[in-house]
Amino acid sequence: MVILEAKNIVKRFGGVTALSDGNIVCREGKITGLLGTNGSGKSTISKIITGVYLPDSGTITYYGQQVSFRNPIEAKKAGIIMAFQNLSLIPDLTVWQNVVLSFEKTKKGFLDNQSAKKITKELIDSFVEGFDIERKVVQLNSSEKQIVEIVKAISEEPKLLILDEPTAALEQAQAQALFKYMKKLAAQGTSIIFTSHRMNEIMEVCDDIVVFNNGHNVGSVDFEVDGRNQKEIVKMITGDIHTEDISHTRTENTKDIQLEIKNLQYENILHDIQFSVKKGEVLGIGGLQGQGQTELMLALAGNYKTLQAEVHLNKEKIRLNTPANTIRKGIFLVPGDRQTEGLMMKESIYHNMLMPKFALKRQPFFIPEKKYRKECEEIVKLLSIKTDSIDTKADNLSGGNQQKIVVGKWLPFDIKVLLLSDPAKGVDIGAKRDMYQFILKLAREKDISVILYASDNDELVRYCDNVLIMYEGSIVKRLSGDAINNVNITAASLNLTKEEEVEKDECKEH
Amino acid sequence: MNVKSIKKLLHRTETATVILLILMVAVIASLSGNFFEAYTIRSNIISWTPLILLAMGQSFVIIGGGLDLSNGPAMSLILCTLTAVMHADSDITGIKALFIGLLVALGIGVINGFVVGYLRVPALIATFATSYIWLGAALLVMPTPGGECVNWMRIFYDFQSVESLPEGLKQFGAVIPSGLILIIIGIIVWVVLSRKKFGRYLYAVGSDRDIAYQSGINSAKMQLLTYVINALFIYGCALFYAAQNQAGSARIGDPLTLQSVAAVVVGGVALSGGTGKVYMAAIGAVIMSLVNRLIYILELPAEYQVLVSGAIIILAITISTIYETTNAKAAEKREVN
Repeated sequence: MVILEAKNIVKRFGGVTALSDGNIVCREGKITGLLGTNGSGKSTISKIITGVYLPDSGTITYYGQQVSFRNPIEAKKAGIIMAFQNLSLIPDLTVWQNVVLSFEKTKKGFLDNQSAKKITKELIDSFVEGFDIERKVVQLNSSEKQIVEIVKAISEEPKLLILDEPTAALEQAQAQALFKYMKKLAAQGTSIIFTSHRMNEIMEVCDDIVVFNNGHNVGSVDFEVDGRNQKEIVKMITGDIHTEDISHTRTENTKDIQLEIKNLQYENILHDIQFSVKKGEVLGIGGLQGQGQTELMLALAGNYKTLQAEVHLNKEKIRLNTPANTIRKGIFLVPGDRQTEGLMMKESIYHNMLMPKFALKRQPFFIPEKKYRKECEEIVKLLSIKTDSIDTKADNLSGGNQQKIVVGKWLPFDIKVLLLSDPAKGVDIGAKRDMYQFILKLAREKDISVILYASDNDELVRYCDNVLIMYEGSIVKRLSGDAINNVNITAASLNLTKEEEVEKDECKEH
Repeated sequence: MNVKSIKKLLHRTETATVILLILMVAVIASLSGNFFEAYTIRSNIISWTPLILLAMGQSFVIIGGGLDLSNGPAMSLILCTLTAVMHADSDITGIKALFIGLLVALGIGVINGFVVGYLRVPALIATFATSYIWLGAALLVMPTPGGECVNWMRIFYDFQSVESLPEGLKQFGAVIPSGLILIIIGIIVWVVLSRKKFGRYLYAVGSDRDIAYQSGINSAKMQLLTYVINALFIYGCALFYAAQNQAGSARIGDPLTLQSVAAVVVGGVALSGGTGKVYMAAIGAVIMSLVNRLIYILELPAEYQVLVSGAIIILAITISTIYETTNAKAAEKREVN
């Protein structure tokens, strides 16, 4: 039975058409995969269904009746609930207070906190054991927040549940638990829309899929009827982009060592870390989420005052105590959360690119606008950032293009070490490859050492010369050459000591 | 009590406020000698009442993510209205004044709340601007201090001075000042509201009004409500002043604005919204009153009270920021372990 059908939806923002002809059908008890690159219109259609945006034209039929939700509250009342990717949790409330928020039950006019806690506990236990629901959301890490977000959506007993990239912040085991739960909900008759950039997840969990490209549907596949053909689907998503992999050749790197780290120690978070990276080398950092990778990147960028480490950059001893110092030495960080840490979202591309210059280089009395604009335009062209002008606000660009600006703004400087903290998170396949190819080229040509932390193992396999696996704040394994593959990375991430082909390099067992 | 629960207690922001209260009481008591005598306690509660009421109202607004820089002048406006309407020789004008005063208070609350909640003008700017509207209106109503007050209105100040009350109530008033009753009513209102949806939503909106909206909460209405509740506290404060002074003045409330903000901050309510307790703001107001008392005991000019309020706000916020960062670091450590 069809629960919801959206037909010929059109949505424009100013002059930009986000959705030119959006169609989607959700059936009772089915999980529909919503696929497409960033900016293809898939988030826009989700937001139109949930009443965040009003469509310019087109119809939505829900349980046989034409509806038009003016705000998320109306959609919620009708049973359409979305778990947002940019989480909709209140930081100062506890986990259980968030889960029941706006659906509180009362007993004699007062809040019934006991039942709220019970409901929350039961739901969360099906994802993770021993989760303290009395904590405030502000104290949780990103995967815990994502779980709470999902649990909150489920607790509202939706008829149509929209999960917007729920697995991006989850660990493997949690994602599996989620899939199990989704299937259970579907069996109970809930209709689910699921978006993800990870093909294997789509293949595993969905009953049918809808593919968006450039604001309209380019195809839909019902797995029960048409079978599961991943290659076909990838082709639909990427459209004209070639799908065959350009796996990079791992040539012997005979260049000098650029950066050498010894005995790096930071409070209880990072232990006894040592490694070195050569000029032009791409060094991957992998492992399960939250094993200290983000902290290691921040440490290398000079964000921790109390960090202890022996650091040599091109044989010169340096200190990593402040960001200003590391930047001056040529160590640059591209932060993971581009929206809060890497970019001023309300400023134009040009201004974003200008800022580091102002901060770090002596400026002439009058700013040479023309020269700088030209430089900026060159970078935009070089990185093939999709925009009509460099005066476009960062806010209005897609995720992949935003990330390019974060990298691009450091290009005019003398980069020695480039730290990338999960740069491709939430970036679509096409833009991801563009970005990595550019970074690889940059590394090889300019002798830049790249240290890349990626939560997606595929990126490590595809682009790295060497990979370090972290576990509980230490490096537990070093993989290089052909040993870098999904199986080895996963095994090392779980810190399975039975893996016997230990590299003879400076691999440290924990 | 084991070590763990003591540690937990120390991490609560309330603890710092209570320690500060004990310190201030100790200092004042040692300087003035008769601090713990029944008479002094009673007269102290009376003199603290206006600030406590304003601070409690202010804390509703601040927890809800707003700020009210107009509560002092708003109090003056209500006070001037009350005393302008009343004639000392006509008891019935008292009823009329109570009613008109309440309307003025509700108007003030609704205007502030509408501008901040619905028009989304930043609370700082909005209420700073409305403070001048209230001040101007108060000066129109009462260009020079004056006005009258009916005798029965004094129940809001002291039962003893109301001629028509029976002897028993007068005796009761000799022990329990009316201000305390107003404060207790305020605290009961808070305890009830905090256990209802209103209380939960108040924190949600104060923490992040856009997310609260997405969750299905009418953020604008919630903010409007906080300003209306605040206005009722201001109304209570104006009644107290009218009863105490038997006259009105358009500028009498001015210094109270900053002091009420300082009291809320000292009470551990974050100016960023979403955290804190209303009764802690009342304790903050007691601390601020004790500071004022200290200034008096040290024979410094009264102008120091305003000066010190400003300094205390900055000091308190700095300390709480440091406190929060160290707390956050400790939490991070715990998480890793």
